[in-house]
Amino acid sequence: MGMLFILLFFVSLFYIAISGRLFTVLNLLILQGLLLFGVAIIELNEINIVNLLIVLLETLIFKAWFMPNYLKKVVNRNNIKRQVNPYISGFNSLIIISVIIIGNLIFAYYIQNTFLKPAYIAAAFSGILTGLFLIISRKEILMHLVGYVVLENGIVLLSFSVGKEMPFAVNAGILLDILISVLIFGLFINKIGKMFEDMDITKLTSLSD
Amino acid sequence: MVLAAIILLSLVFPGIIVKVKSKTSGRKGPSVWQPVYDLVKLFRKEAVYSKTTSWIFAWAPVMYFASVIMAALMLPLGKHGAVISFQGDFIFFIYLLGLGKFFMIVAALDTGSAFEGMGASREALYSMLVEPAFFILLASLALLSGTTSFETFFHSLTFNSSIAIFIGVLATYLIFHVALLENSRMPYDDPKTHLELTMIHEVMVLDYCGFDLALIQWAGHLKFVLYSLLVTNLFIAPSFPTWLTLLVFVTITLLFAVAVGFVESFRARHKLRNNNKAIVILIPIAILIFFGSMLIMNKLF
Repeated sequence: MGMLFILLFFVSLFYIAISGRLFTVLNLLILQGLLLFGVAIIELNEINIVNLLIVLLETLIFKAWFMPNYLKKVVNRNNIKRQVNPYISGFNSLIIISVIIIGNLIFAYYIQNTFLKPAYIAAAFSGILTGLFLIISRKEILMHLVGYVVLENGIVLLSFSVGKEMPFAVNAGILLDILISVLIFGLFINKIGKMFEDMDITKLTSLSD
Repeated sequence: MVLAAIILLSLVFPGIIVKVKSKTSGRKGPSVWQPVYDLVKLFRKEAVYSKTTSWIFAWAPVMYFASVIMAALMLPLGKHGAVISFQGDFIFFIYLLGLGKFFMIVAALDTGSAFEGMGASREALYSMLVEPAFFILLASLALLSGTTSFETFFHSLTFNSSIAIFIGVLATYLIFHVALLENSRMPYDDPKTHLELTMIHEVMVLDYCGFDLALIQWAGHLKFVLYSLLVTNLFIAPSFPTWLTLLVFVTITLLFAVAVGFVESFRARHKLRNNNKAIVILIPIAILIFFGSMLIMNKLF
């Protein structure tokens, strides 16, 4: 079952690469949050109950509910353009992400480490690299945020792959980071939305006071 | 017996597609048997050959039809083994279909018509693009079963794990799209329009008539049923009794036809320019199937 979630995670990465609509991407973030929740339930049955509960709450409430819905609200409130506007076309992104995923599968296959599960490693690194790729290849500032969240999902998967030795503090720290960044971006977009209709970063260069 | 089922279903298949398309657009539509009447009518007529063509043009439809029938002989159905079966026959299967297509392409070039040359080049390009996806799919089945013959491919894919179901769903989707592409159906090409600039498959057979045209059309219908037979094999176990196997086969084929009808009714044709991208997108799906079968085989642990 856990492996099925990993496969669906790959599907969501492919889909994020080609989807041209902002709301599809945000829904995919919800899907990824739910997948992480499922993986956490299946994999982390050995850590102590408080940590487990916090992880489950984090994935379900924060990743699958709060963050995507907050971003949706930001989009709705500011009349942001709902098409994704990439530097690299969806098709080419798909090819690049396929290469990333295949590369990571090969990489994971060669790491025969007893502590780490290769499938999780592959999914985690694919998530991280896909997140970075989304950040450099999309024009909207919201998509940069989405890339950031995908990257974080990859890191969470990486921490799941070590199972019960999961450094909980690291995860919490990253979570806090992302939470603050989402809030700041939200505020930033809410404020700046009154001045500029567009959140295209190529046009934001002409900002002045 | 399997071959008889394939041939019977291939006669009904196009009729059902047309019927579904008519119903969804609020028309009554022709009888389900109309394509059969058309075929019979065409079979009675004799073929007329253009003076610019050579023997290839006359031979190509026969080769095409023969290759499809031969391919049909290589597919098993549940416990009923294939008529022809040997190690590595899945590669032979793909290249048999390829051989038929090659003859159609050569024949289209043989006519010397610019339109047909254009269609031939598109057909060649799209078959080339879809080939990796189909090969990866069959290779993952080979990986799962540990053998390289259709006979044993499907035996090992039992649906006792969630990943197997996942693979089944993805493989069905993939085969469906390969079938649509091979027959130049809706999202890739519109068989209704006789607009030369958008046509792929139809344009190659413009110069055929009578008996030859009937062979080509029938071979196309047969191909659809072949792909639905592949899908059926994903979902049946060799332990099924004969009547159940046949029932599943007929049901899946009819569902397949209905699905094609719905896709044709509700989807727009891709821009021709975007077709090759749409086809290459099938490859990641095949890669996911491959990855899933590696997981089932525990190669990744």
